[in-house]
Amino acid sequence: MLTCENISFDIDGQKLFSNISLNIQPRKDLLITGPSGVGKTTLLSILCGIQKPTTGKITYNSIDLYNLPENKIDEFRGKNLGVVFQNFNLINTFTVKQNLEIVVSATDTKKSIPFFNILDRVGLANKSHIKVANLSIGEKQRLAVARAFVGDPKWVFCDEPTSSLDDKNADIIANLIKDESLRCKASLVLITHDNRIQSLINFSKILKLGDEL
Amino acid sequence: MIVGITIITVSILVNQVTKETFSKNNPGLDAVVGAKGSPLQLILSSIHHIDIPTGNISYKNARKIIKHPAIKSAIPISLGDNFQNFRIVGTNKSFLELYKANLISGTAWSQPMQAVIGYNVSKITKLKINKFFVGSHGLVDTGDVHAEQPYKVVGVLKKTGTILDNLILTSLDSVWNLHSVTNKDKLEITSLLLKYKNKTSSFSFPRLINKGTNMQAASPSFEISKLLKLTGNAHRIVDYLSVLITILSFLGILFTLLNNINERKYDLAVLRTLGFSRWKLFSIILSEGMIISILGSTIGLMFGYIVCESMYYFSIVGRSFELGQLSFLNDLLLIWIIVNIIAFITCLVPCIKVYKQNIRSTLLNS
Repeated sequence: MLTCENISFDIDGQKLFSNISLNIQPRKDLLITGPSGVGKTTLLSILCGIQKPTTGKITYNSIDLYNLPENKIDEFRGKNLGVVFQNFNLINTFTVKQNLEIVVSATDTKKSIPFFNILDRVGLANKSHIKVANLSIGEKQRLAVARAFVGDPKWVFCDEPTSSLDDKNADIIANLIKDESLRCKASLVLITHDNRIQSLINFSKILKLGDEL
Repeated sequence: MIVGITIITVSILVNQVTKETFSKNNPGLDAVVGAKGSPLQLILSSIHHIDIPTGNISYKNARKIIKHPAIKSAIPISLGDNFQNFRIVGTNKSFLELYKANLISGTAWSQPMQAVIGYNVSKITKLKINKFFVGSHGLVDTGDVHAEQPYKVVGVLKKTGTILDNLILTSLDSVWNLHSVTNKDKLEITSLLLKYKNKTSSFSFPRLINKGTNMQAASPSFEISKLLKLTGNAHRIVDYLSVLITILSFLGILFTLLNNINERKYDLAVLRTLGFSRWKLFSIILSEGMIISILGSTIGLMFGYIVCESMYYFSIVGRSFELGQLSFLNDLLLIWIIVNIIAFITCLVPCIKVYKQNIRSTLLNS
C-alpha cells in the first residue's frame, strides 16, 4: 500500500501545496487533476522518490521512502516503480530495445525480460533497432509506456501521458496503460485531463489539488 | 597521455641504459693513455668504442709507460678497421682477461690474422669458427676492404653484456701486418688501457703524461661523469617536457569527462529515474576515465619501449647497449602507478559532479 502523510512542498519559501494525505490500496488507481501550476508533476515526482518533499512522509508497504539513503531510493524506484514522464525522458541516442534493456541493467535483475513481447504489445516490434531520435511522438510515448511496465512494477506513475498526442494515438496509449497495469497488477497514479482515460480506467480515488480528497 | 608517457619512458630508458652501459663497459680501468686531443673522445673511442680515436701513439713510448712502477697492468689496443661496422681491435690476450671473457667455441688467437669475435658479432654477421672475413678501412663500413689479407675466425666469445660482445679481437701484429708496418721503431697503437697499482697515482700519473710527453692520460670515470652531467641536463629538459605533456593529458581527461557528462547530463538524470544509483553512475564515469588513463599509460609505456628498442636496433652505436634489463622496470612501473593515481584523482572531479546532480532540475531544464 502507498501512504502519504501530510505532504507539503515549498519553492523559495512559497507553499506550492500542503498537508496532502492519501493512501492507495494495492491494484487501486489514483487520478490527480487540477489547474496548471498547482504542483501535480511535483507531487508525482515526490511520490516516486525523485523530489524530496519539504515535510511529510511517504511509505510503500511500510518502507519509509525518504528515510532510505539516496542510493536506496534510486534502487527502490528502479525495482518497484514505473514512471511515464510527460516529455518521455527517453535516451535519444539509444535504440528502442536499448531503452528497455537499460531498465534491467539499472536494477541488476537476473531474470530474462521478453523484450520482443513487450514491444509487440506496444506496436514497436519492427522498430526495435531504430534510434529513439527517429521515432514519431506517438511511438516515443508508446515506448515510454513500455519502459515503465518492463520491470513488472507494482506502482506506475504517468504524467499527462496523452497530452501531446492526436486522438488516435491517445486512444492507443490509454488502452495500453490500462492493459499493462492489469497485466502487472499494478496501481496507477495518473495525472491527466483526458476524459478518454478517465472513462477507460476506473479510478478509485481522485485528488484535485487544492480541493479536498 | 600516450605521447607524454612515451616520452617519459624513452627518457628513462635512454638515461638508465646509457648509465648502466657506460658502467658495465669499464672493467675497473683507471686511465687511458692516447694521442693528445679530447680526453672524452679518447675514453669513448678506447673503452666504449663509440667515437673515433684522437690519433695514434708510438708503441715504443707506450712500452715505457707499461714498465712504469705506478702501473699494475697496461693493455695496448690498436683500432682502425671494421667488419660490417663491428670494430676490429688489435690487442693482447690480457684484454680477454680484463673483461673476464670466456669462449663459447674455439680458442684465442695464436698467430697474426686470426680473430676472436664477440657474441653479437657472431649473431649478426653469422661468422663462425674457421670462416674468413676481410676488414674494411676505418671504423664504419665504407666498402674499402683489405681483400688481400682475410682474417680467420678462431674463437667466439660468450655473451658478456658489455662492449666486448660487439668487438672483433685480434693480435696487434695482425693490425700492423695489415697496414704494412715493418719498422719496429715506427709501430703505433691507438691507446693504452691502464690500471694503477695504487689509487693515489690517479693524481700524479696523468700530470706526468700530460705535461712530460706528447700523449695524454684521461680518467674514464671523470670523463664519463662529465658527459653524463651534460646529457643529464638535456634529459631533465625532456623530462620536464614529458611531465608537461602528461599534465596536459590529465587536463584532457578531465575536460573530456566534464564535457561528456555535460552533454549526457540529461541521459544520466534519466538513468537515475530508472534506478541507477548515484554510486553506480559515479563508478561508471570513474571507469570511463580510468580506462582512458590505464590504456593511455600502458600504450605509452609500450610505445616508449618499442621506440628505444628500435633506436638501439637500427643504430650502430646502439649495438653497445643492452635493453631488457629489469632494474629500470621498477622506475617505469612506479611512473605508471603515479600517473594512474593522479588520473584517478582527476576523474573524481566529474564523478562528484555526477554524484551531486539534481535529477528533477536537470530533467526540467532539459
